Amino acid sequence: MDFAQFRRPQRYIGNEWNVIKKSHKGRIPVCIGYPDLYELGMSNLGLRIIYSILNEESDIVCERVFMPFDDLSQYLKENDQRLFSLESKTPLNQFQVLGFNFNAELNYTNFLHILELGGIPRYSHQRKDVIVLGGGVVNPEPIADFIDIFVLGEFEAISNDLIKILRSTSSRQARIEAFSQTPGFYIPQLYSNNLENNSYLFKPLNEKAPKSIKRVFVKDLDNSYYPTNWLTPHTAIIQDRVPVEIARGCPNLCTFCQARKQYYPYRQRKPQKVKEIIKKIYKSSGYENFSLLSLSASDYSYMQELLDGVLDYFREQRIGLSLPSLRIDDLLGPLQERLQRLKSSSLTVAVEAAQDKLRKDIQKNIDIKQLFEAAKVLHSFNFKQIKLYFMYGFPNETNEDIIAIADMLKELLGKSNLKISASVNVFMPKPISIWESQSLEDEKILEEKRALLLNSLPRSKRLDVSLPSTKSTILETLLARGDRTVGKVIENAYRKGALFCGDNERFKWAPWKNAIEEEGSAYQKILKTQTSNFAWSFIDK
Amino acid sequence: MIYFSQLDLIHILERALRRTDLPIYFTQGYNPHVKISFRSGLKLGVTGKIEVVLYFSEKVDRERAIQKLKEHLPMGLNILKGSQMSLKEINKLRRQAK
Ligand code: SF4
Repeated sequence: MDFAQFRRPQRYIGNEWNVIKKSHKGRIPVCIGYPDLYELGMSNLGLRIIYSILNEESDIVCERVFMPFDDLSQYLKENDQRLFSLESKTPLNQFQVLGFNFNAELNYTNFLHILELGGIPRYSHQRKDVIVLGGGVVNPEPIADFIDIFVLGEFEAISNDLIKILRSTSSRQARIEAFSQTPGFYIPQLYSNNLENNSYLFKPLNEKAPKSIKRVFVKDLDNSYYPTNWLTPHTAIIQDRVPVEIARGCPNLCTFCQARKQYYPYRQRKPQKVKEIIKKIYKSSGYENFSLLSLSASDYSYMQELLDGVLDYFREQRIGLSLPSLRIDDLLGPLQERLQRLKSSSLTVAVEAAQDKLRKDIQKNIDIKQLFEAAKVLHSFNFKQIKLYFMYGFPNETNEDIIAIADMLKELLGKSNLKISASVNVFMPKPISIWESQSLEDEKILEEKRALLLNSLPRSKRLDVSLPSTKSTILETLLARGDRTVGKVIENAYRKGALFCGDNERFKWAPWKNAIEEEGSAYQKILKTQTSNFAWSFIDK
Repeated sequence: MIYFSQLDLIHILERALRRTDLPIYFTQGYNPHVKISFRSGLKLGVTGKIEVVLYFSEKVDRERAIQKLKEHLPMGLNILKGSQMSLKEINKLRRQAK
């Protein structure tokens, strides 16, 4: 196949620096996938961790597949060819195991597309040899019919069990049985989970199926696996820097936040370890930009020590460093002098709610006065722009809260001459967040609030605001909170051509609207949280 | 056959250089990067030759530099020939080209 005929051929070549190519002979062939384009998938740390861990094993060969862009999809269909792995160009249906890392619900239809192009039967019960694993999901139920085995929790914590089971037998059935007896794995086909009398009844379908399902976590981050033989693309990817994870989880209690619970408990990596990882990755990749990754860098207890240990190295090697999740207090506090030595980057502040009272309600703990203080000194940090995150659609929110977002942007534009980019999202009651039993605000009210915000925003060339459509928020909430009936909606919308729904520009509501109607989905019940428990309640917290 | 654009090629060369322990020359300023210049363009998906100028902060052994760089270039990219010039000579060539 001549890849030059497709847009961005680097998406399909699989010749990155540090790519691992092994013959399949005598090895267990595994292909891991990400249901979005190469540029996004290659920016996903989880996928890289899985790739490296599995390839450390000499009897396993792990390759990658991403969502192909339209041109390749069309080519494969027209020529009756199968979607293939990047490394060896092996058709997906020749692998024993496929594993998908989901981190955005809106990509579920892309996943079905990859299966179809790869010649993999869509439903779990139709499959004879291949096993399809899914990970990264909080609520597995909407895609339960399409996945044989879910990994619940963190991959590093189950990788040894996974490898052991794959080695023990090559029979699909025997493998699935072994997984069903191992903590951290969930086999949806062994259970029913229907809504009866307004509550979800989770029932094992046979005696051997364990009654409780658990998420698993890495206990010791310092000794958990980190990929250092860094797969380095030859083309730009979305997050074109190496993320070095300094902590996992978050000690804060923002009520809308799913991540704090998904990556619970809060664990930190020692600065010495972080430094070792940075040096190894730089040596292996030559990457010119790094970032220190965590949900909330300001809570990292060893930040001063870490910066003191690495800043000189970054400067000597001319490596850029960004610290995406710092709080503003750090810019004014003891880290100020150290941060000023960083190569230019942007300051990100998750304000979420512009008025103090609402911010207190959602337990977002930041001091806005400091933001304005900081705005005045920002130019001394080499920052190019300020990125702000807001949300609306919270319970008990008033119109003043909406207008306050616009006012805050106005004031900041006045106090600093940097570019400001504001990303405004709608509050969604995501599973396992503190506010999981709240409702999604009515569509009509969300539309009114959106219009109010758009009308109050200051006009400035320095301000860039992104606002997703209300419909895409509704869909995301449905896919996040859905039960097994939502799987039918996903499948139906996919047949109607819904693809790349996470891309604002490509998102279309029509196929979903029709799919919901045709499947008779009681979707309002899911959005409005009218059930006494939830589709995901069976997973131990 | 190679499939990357000229912009990609800059990154590929920069990262390859950074992986070697050669004394790379970096541009000055807030956003230092490896200095690389091209003396001819390259089309995507075409086999061909391209002339690239790489800059070092001190004199390097030509053979050693070529060897090191070759070790760090991705498959499909090779060095056919390398010659060494002082900054003066480069600037002179530039003026002639204009
Ligand atoms: S929103 Fe951020 S700071 Fe708040 S709990 Fe979640 S991860 Fe932590």
